[in-house]
Amino acid sequence: MSRSVWKGPFVDAYVLKKAEKSKEGGRNEVIKIWSRRSTILPQFVGLTFGVYNGQKHIPVNVSEDMIGQKFGEYSPTRTYYGHAADKKAKRK
Amino acid sequence: MSNDRIVVGAIAGSFGVKGEVRLKSFCANPEDITIYAPLYDDAGKEYSVKITRPIKGGFAARLSGIRFKDEADALRGTKLSADRELLPALPDDEFYHADLIGLEVLDTGGAKLGKVAAVLNHGAGDILEIRGPGQKGSLLLPFTKEAAPTVDLGVGRIIADPPDDDEADG
Repeated sequence: MSRSVWKGPFVDAYVLKKAEKSKEGGRNEVIKIWSRRSTILPQFVGLTFGVYNGQKHIPVNVSEDMIGQKFGEYSPTRTYYGHAADKKAKRK
Repeated sequence: MSNDRIVVGAIAGSFGVKGEVRLKSFCANPEDITIYAPLYDDAGKEYSVKITRPIKGGFAARLSGIRFKDEADALRGTKLSADRELLPALPDDEFYHADLIGLEVLDTGGAKLGKVAAVLNHGAGDILEIRGPGQKGSLLLPFTKEAAPTVDLGVGRIIADPPDDDEADG
């Protein structure tokens, strides 16, 4: 069952605070967070968060299509490297 | 473009009794493995590949020179490589993982940060995993124009401007 609309999306307060501070500073920095359960809000777009996966902080560059999802979805706790073969990386 | 050949697949064993092999493809689009033929094993032996049908975990395929089940069984675990030149050219700001892995990473001041160990993508953009000789862990660098302003495949290096960490309080 989905979360009630009247409650609004859940975000840990310290994440909001850190994001606000980073936006005001306007610096190119990774905002280290441990809150994997927090929802990605529209005001986070363009910021880079370092989302903890239990071992290290994985850089997560927030884009518009990520709004509404949780930070933890972009910071897997198990990593499978696989083979490079013909896989491509795009520099944004 | 440090390597002449890149691993694009592996043989997982024989399939059936007529000399077909179980072929595992490592390509982004698994069927593309046939585009990169001829494929080579570690000893440099050349194989042409014909996929006969998709099976669980890969493809059943026929390799040139392999006619019997025993020969197919003997190839179990063999990695198959393709010539790097066969990969199509990419537009600006797009790179093959195989080309990025192993590149030296320097910061904007010219100090060595390490080498690219892996390219990761967990759904929020590509990330370079950089490991240095004296480093305990690895440095994760977002693969963006701000964090990696110069990628020089010819010289074999990346100039990186790693973003700062904000204060590490929870």
